[in-house]
Formats: sequence, C-alpha cells, structure tokens
Amino acid sequence: MDEVVRQIITRRRFLQLAAASAVVAACSPSAVSTGSSGPGGSTAAGGSAPAGGSGVPPSSGGGVTGTINVSYPDEAGLKPKYVEQAAAAVKAQFSGADVKIDLQKVGDDDFYTKLLLALDSGTGPDVFHVGGSSIGELADASYIEPLDDYVSQWADWSQYPDAVKSGVTYKGSVWAIPYGLDMRWLYYRKDDLQKAGLAADWQPANVQGILDAANAVKNAKESNVLPYALYAGPAGSSGTADHAFVPLLWAYGGELQDSSGKWIGDSPATKKVKAATEKNVGYVLHPTETGGPSFTIGGPGTCWYISSRSANKQGAWEFIKAFNTADIVGKLNAEDPHPVARKDAADVAEFKASKYNVDATAALEKAKFVPPDPGYSKVIEAIQKATARVAAGELGPDDAAKRYTDDLTQALGADKVVSQ
Amino acid sequence: MAVVRRGRLARNRLYLAGLSPAAFLLALFFVGPALWALGSSFTNRALVGIDAANPRFVGLDNYVRLFGDPDFGRVILNSVIFVIGSAIIGQFVLGLGLALLLDYAQRRGFLASNFVYAAVLLAWVNPTIIAGFLWVAMFDFYNGSLNTGLHVLGVQPINWLGQGPMLAVIIANTWRGAAFTMLIFLGALRTIPTDIYEAARVDGANAYRRFWDHTLPILRPIAALTLLSITMATFGTFILIQTLTNGGPAFQTEVIALYAFHEAFQNHAVGYGSTISVVMLALNLGFAIVFLRWSRARA
Repeated sequence: MDEVVRQIITRRRFLQLAAASAVVAACSPSAVSTGSSGPGGSTAAGGSAPAGGSGVPPSSGGGVTGTINVSYPDEAGLKPKYVEQAAAAVKAQFSGADVKIDLQKVGDDDFYTKLLLALDSGTGPDVFHVGGSSIGELADASYIEPLDDYVSQWADWSQYPDAVKSGVTYKGSVWAIPYGLDMRWLYYRKDDLQKAGLAADWQPANVQGILDAANAVKNAKESNVLPYALYAGPAGSSGTADHAFVPLLWAYGGELQDSSGKWIGDSPATKKVKAATEKNVGYVLHPTETGGPSFTIGGPGTCWYISSRSANKQGAWEFIKAFNTADIVGKLNAEDPHPVARKDAADVAEFKASKYNVDATAALEKAKFVPPDPGYSKVIEAIQKATARVAAGELGPDDAAKRYTDDLTQALGADKVVSQ
Repeated sequence: MAVVRRGRLARNRLYLAGLSPAAFLLALFFVGPALWALGSSFTNRALVGIDAANPRFVGLDNYVRLFGDPDFGRVILNSVIFVIGSAIIGQFVLGLGLALLLDYAQRRGFLASNFVYAAVLLAWVNPTIIAGFLWVAMFDFYNGSLNTGLHVLGVQPINWLGQGPMLAVIIANTWRGAAFTMLIFLGALRTIPTDIYEAARVDGANAYRRFWDHTLPILRPIAALTLLSITMATFGTFILIQTLTNGGPAFQTEVIALYAFHEAFQNHAVGYGSTISVVMLALNLGFAIVFLRWSRARA
C-alpha cells in the first residue's frame, strides 16, 4: 500500500509547490496580464470586439497592429524557442505589431489558477496555452473566443484529422488549436520485468496480465522497485484521472458518460478500478479485462486559446497560426515526444527520425479521447478523492464507488449522474 | 457633546495619524477580503464554467453543504489533532522544556547554551517554505536524511510522509515553532530573581518543589497567553503542510486552511472555498476573544 501512497509526492509536485507561494503573491492581475489594452490594442481588421462576443469575422490578410500578449507556462524549457520563432514571424509579417511574451516557469496547474484569476478579474493575456481538457469549462465561463470564423479561413485546418477537431469542439464550436496530442501508454521497465523472469517484449493480454506481471516483480523483491505505479488522489493532478482511473475504467469495459451524456458513477467497472487501486500492483497499448481491442487514451493535449476579452484577437490568431506551422509542430513534438496534431507535421524530418513518434501517431487510430465537457474537471476531482480513499485504505472498493457517485452527484447534480 | 468629541479628536490627532496607516492596511488586506469572502460564501461563484460567467445567490446552501460534508468532519478532526500535537504538546511543552534547560545552563554560564539557543532560533527565523523543504529533504523516502541515517544503522527505510503523514507534519511544525515558546518563557524566567531559588534551597526544597512552587506560578499567566497565541497560529497553518504533503495522502493531513484553498483554487469553487474560510475565521475569532479577555484580565 505504501508504494502507491508514496507516489503522491512526486518531484514534479515538489517543484509546483515551490512555485505555489509565488503564485499567492503574484495573483495580482499584473502578474499574468501585461495588459491586453496596450497601446493601439485594436485590430485593424475587426476593431474592438465586445467581451464574450461571438467573434468578429476576421478579414484575411488584414494588417495587424498593436501589442499581442502571449502567456504560457513551461518548466522543461522546450517551447520558448518556438514561441519566440512564432512571435518573430508575426512581427516580420506585420510591421505595426508587437508581441509580448510572458513565459511562466511554473507548473501547469499553478499557471491555470493564475490565469483563471486574471481572466476572472477581466484582464489576462490575449492568447494563452493550457490543456485541452479545459475547453468546456473555459467556454462556459465565457473566457475564450470561439475560433470557427478563424479556422474557416485557414487553409491549414484541413490538415487536422477529424478526431483531433472533435477533441477541441464543444457545443458545436472550435475553441482551441492543439499541436501535440496526449497519448497514454502502459509503461514498464524492461530491466525490472526481466529480473522478475518476464520477457523483455512483455505484452499483457488483459488487465489480469498486468497484475500478474506486477506480482512477479513484487515477489522478486528487488529493492527500490515499485511493482505498479498508479496515481491516486488530488496530488496526481489530472494524472489521477487520465493516467490511472480512466484507462482502467475503459479497460474494464466501463465508460465515463452514458450515451445521453450523463456521467456514470457507480458501475461494475468503477468498483473493479477501485479494487485494482487497492491491490496496488504494477503498468504497451492498454489491454482490456477480457482481452478485447487494446486502446490508448488520447486528448488534444495543450492548446492555444484566444481570450474573449482580448482587444487584439486578430493579432492573437496570427500568433496561433505562426506557432502551429507544420515545421514548428513537427520539431517541437520531436523534442517533446507527442503525436502531432496536424498530419503534414508527421513528415518533418526530425519528427520521423523517432520510431516512438511514428508509432504514437499511428496509435492515434486506437485513441479514445476524453470528453471536452466542463463537468470533466469535477469528475477528475471526484476520481481523485475516490482513489485517494482507497489507496489510503480508508474505504473498500464498493464504498469508494458509492462515494464516487455521491461526489459526482454533489458536483454535477443528480440529473447528470447514473449508476449501472 | 460635539465640542468634547472635537476636543478629543484634536487631542489625539497625532495618535490617530500614527494609527491610520496600520488601520488602512488592515482594512485593505484583512477586513476587505474577509467581507468579500463572507459575501462570496452566499453565492455559487466559481473560476470556471457557467457559474463563473453568472454567479448566483444561493443563500445558506454552501453552509448546509459544508456541515453535511464528510470531508469537512475529517478536516476539522485533522486540524484539532494537528493543533494538539504540534502546538500544545509539541511547541508548548518542548518550548517550555528548552527554556528551562537553557535558563539553567545560562545561569551557570555553560558556553554550549549559546549554540543551542542559536540552533533553536534558526529554525524559527527561516521562512516557513524553507523549513518545509528542509523537512521534505529529511523525510524523503529514497534520499532523505532520516532514511539515509537508518540505512547506516541497517534499519529498513520508513515511508514517513506516506505512512505517518500527520506525525511528520507535527514533528516539522514543532521543530519550527518551539523557538517562539522558548523565547517567551526564557524572557519570563529571567525576570525571576535568583534569590527566590536561593531561599527555597535554604528551606530544603528539591528541584521539583522549586519548579512546582515558584517557577510555575510565575509563568502561569504568560503560559496561558502563549498557548492561545500558538493555538491560533497553528490552526491557520498552511505553507508548511502544503509543502510537505499538500493535505495528503488521502486527506490525512488536510487541515482547514488547506481545504479552503483547495476548494477555491484547485477545484475552482470560490463560493464554497469562501464558506470554509468564513467558518475558519469565525473559529479564529472565537480564539481571539478568549485571548483578549484573558490578556485584559491580567493587565
């Protein structure tokens, strides 16, 4: 049990916490927003749009002037050169435009909190960079601008596969432009598995196969080896949901939502996931319980958004286009391995050089995307609480599955939750 | 009446002028936000979703939900355990013990006492976040100082933050806060004239009797005030626990200040988070009233 619990304090979390105190101090709007109402912050194309407006039809090729405020978080340091490259391209194309880049060296969760506080107070950057799972909740809060009018005039949009487009579509509109998709695999350590007497090219036929392998590793009693690591609890951030609960739920034949869009609380599959968390055993395409078709869990990954309160939406869009070229998308995803969001980026030499990248892009065929529903973050929260309780031994799988239903009902309303 | 009032105002002009910056800052950074939180606690204000665009007045819904929230019961229990463990037992008893030892050592001119004094004080003058990371480095499972020490002794490593998280944060907070109690008591002990002890010794009182009959009664009023002030400070502990465990694993160290923060800024439920902080404020006001009554009665 302690191996699972131990996973909660990760090094990453450690770094995020270091930044947390700075966040509290930096919550003033000026920290995130360098003021979207900069000098000449109106677009030549559309003028200043009303906040939360449904978008001003952009005029293609119109001159862009004024400051474009770009804000994004990056801890790993792979993105800055591409952001700067895109900014330079915008400035070269439009002589009257300036791009101010606000790089936040904090974790994604902390960046998101800061961004929300700025957006809530009516300020914030023109264009920003957060996870695609936030589309629903940001759109409902009227923080972001629908991009339909922009993408309809963007020839490159045809390079994006329909699955990717659907991953950024909510209530019939496109809200964000992705570049590197999320893909969850079942990772395993070849060396540790071999020490436990398993084949190096181990491939589990079903969920039991994972548990068997983990038990073999556990019985090999190597020191400092965790047989099977699962995120559990709130400290795992959205990883608790996307990396552990959701893949297992799907593996056990469960679903997050039923066909009518209601969130499923207690079901035979949720009980089994919670029981798997409890057994604490150790994680290729993810197999299913019965050896059915394997899958990956996919998502739009981190995306670029335009603030609905931006005074320079056309400028923000020009920046997004300049960043999401096939060249940048291919190179960035070669350095930070993710399947590319646009098909032509897969032909970039640097990207093709890695077998993993090619495999990952091919595996997209088998991807199940998490829903871009605003309720998802509340579902994540309930998943965190439920898995944490089981991991800590506080509740058994049955009770935890019931509490998961209760928490979902509390968060989403009784009319949106069903048990199976 | 008006004349009198103006007279008093004029007389105290300098006093009021001196007070106003503090009063202004308190109003800006404490009274204002507290009132905002109170107002927010009656709404379903959120940072995301439809409730962010159109927050509604929900009356006492948040309070009804809070008092029926099984997690909140757990949070209150955690806070009580944390306060009793780290403030009352840890900081208070350890701080008193340290003060007595140091006072004893200093009266006899032991040089080592200065080093002990400096060491205890260093724990206290560090920013809390540094103290937090220091203890993360101590408790870490793989590379932590404690487990490295155990390894040298041939003992299996202990998962401090996983298996005994509450004890771990109590130890860290005790380490950090004992200096405050020690300083207060050390100051009080120095006011006790040596003759009292000399006289008691002549009367044949042993060390225990001298402590019980002379030292303790003199320290009692100070002790009560110290206890109340560290209780209030510990009840609001946030940074140290956030750094070490962030309330986990599985809510085992989630105290009230962390719960308010997590609901408001992690789950983006600002209305509900405000409700928790209003309840926390009310509890702290309760402590403060007791504190003030006590200090006025002694003055």
